[in-house]
Amino acid sequence: MSESVGVDDLIELDYRKTDKGQEISETNSAKPDLCIQHVSKSFQSKNGSVYVLEDINLEINQGEFVCLVGPSGCGKTTLMNIVAGLEKADSGEVWVNGRRILGAGPDRVVIFQEAALFPWLNVIKNVEFGLKLKGVSSSKRRTIALEYLKMVHLTKFQKSHIHELSGGMKQRVAIARALAMNPGMLLMDEPFSALDAQTRWILHYELQNIWMKTKKTILFVTHNIREAVCLADRIFILSTSPGKIKKEFSIDLPRPRDDNDVNVAEYSTRIMKELKAEIDKVVKCEMDADSCVECDIKCTTVEPVKTDIGGGI
Amino acid sequence: MHNGRACKNGYWGGDLKMYSMLKRVIFFILLAGLWELLFWLGIWPEYVLPSPVSVGKTLVRGFQDQSLLIGVAISMKRIAIGYGISLGVGVFVGLLIGRFRIFEDTLGSLISGLQTLPTICWLPLSLLWFGLNDNAIIFLVFMGAVLSIATGTDSGVKNVPPLYIRAAKTMGAKKWKLYLEVIIPAAFPHIVIGMKQGWSFAWRSLMAGELLIVCLGLGHLLMLGRELNDMSQVIAVMLVIILIGILVDRLFFMKIERHIRERWGLVKS
Repeated sequence: MSESVGVDDLIELDYRKTDKGQEISETNSAKPDLCIQHVSKSFQSKNGSVYVLEDINLEINQGEFVCLVGPSGCGKTTLMNIVAGLEKADSGEVWVNGRRILGAGPDRVVIFQEAALFPWLNVIKNVEFGLKLKGVSSSKRRTIALEYLKMVHLTKFQKSHIHELSGGMKQRVAIARALAMNPGMLLMDEPFSALDAQTRWILHYELQNIWMKTKKTILFVTHNIREAVCLADRIFILSTSPGKIKKEFSIDLPRPRDDNDVNVAEYSTRIMKELKAEIDKVVKCEMDADSCVECDIKCTTVEPVKTDIGGGI
Repeated sequence: MHNGRACKNGYWGGDLKMYSMLKRVIFFILLAGLWELLFWLGIWPEYVLPSPVSVGKTLVRGFQDQSLLIGVAISMKRIAIGYGISLGVGVFVGLLIGRFRIFEDTLGSLISGLQTLPTICWLPLSLLWFGLNDNAIIFLVFMGAVLSIATGTDSGVKNVPPLYIRAAKTMGAKKWKLYLEVIIPAAFPHIVIGMKQGWSFAWRSLMAGELLIVCLGLGHLLMLGRELNDMSQVIAVMLVIILIGILVDRLFFMKIERHIRERWGLVKS
């Protein structure tokens, strides 16, 4: 393809024209890209108000890959929605790139668990969607869309209908669609949790490569610790009811990491211990007080770990 | 997948299509034959049951002296205007009802009430408002189609997965762009169902209106046939009306529906 020579220039041009905020942050990169300050959120239920998030404080730097991990119902998706601007916090503020978040915007594109691709558009038109909203000319957005489809290795399927794609391919299109808008930040809400293990493994690898190439700030929500360790620079563990940040881990492993790498597994077990108490809380909440499942879990998981450590050393 | 496609459009597929076409042609020839037979038996006089041959002759004559063509043109013009307006208004009203609670409680209940009213009941009002002219009939066509299109759009909008809207919002879709780029396309399969139903109501209202108001059009030709005791003209015009109905369905709605099925992956097995 003779066009591909000019592609990079085009994207660079578009970059500067549409994203002035990006330029500013390049000059003072010490400033955090995302700043969550004292965010609280509660929902009304039959038994009164339930605190989903309580006084969350987070800072994420430019180009950092951060995972939020927590048991189901700990409010990690709610926090992500607040950052995305799809939900409002009861109190507290979210700042992105020096601007306060008051609503959804194309500077923070969300990738959902289901790919949320539009079935009335084919693959390439889906990738072009955000650019069309921005008012990018049709020839230019085709070039940009092709570039990002190439990045997720799906140029062959550019004319396909959405229902013809597999789950993993759909998520790759969703990633391309998000990247095509050249957002400063990607918000990923359990994007791979509906996929089978092999596909997830491939996508972990691809996402790391894309991140290394594009250097986007990524906030990634998951309940899968192994996934978090495989992807993140930093991991935040959220506790459940109320949702608070319980602990922070830095993962300092070379990239691209493999799900089955020994170091990844070791980090995972350490974090799992931390999360265990929270999972127990959820179990206690969701099952009857006299439930034996709960004591079974405790008995079978806690005991062998102790003996193993002793034996190993 | 490719094998399946090849089969569908390939040798066997084409053969099957020919076969069903052949069955259809034979059926209609037999039907005409039966009709001719009934005519020859002479049970009913010719002004009650004309022969298919004389109906055919009337059809040919109608097209030669252009009286049928003019009738078709006038009727099509009326339905095009009335249906066009009802498409715009219906989609707009449907969007309002589907998206805003206040309109659902007010306009929504009004529409479901009005839907129980046969369109032709609007004729007296229409005559008073517009007089004995084209506009009165266009109004009838409009009233025939607009409610179905509005309810179709309403149900389409209510069935748009919230995820599509959230995704579009995070990509910067706002206000009318959200409607134009996401909500209307996502609701389109339902809108088409409403359009199709609206079309058939509009076509019926048009004919009813033209039968009752004397001012050209196919319905008028039908009435003229009755007044002149020319039963072959009545049947000829009826055939033309059926033909137009089939053509619009085949050339327009079936194509759109097939397009939607292919796009959305809702292929009938």
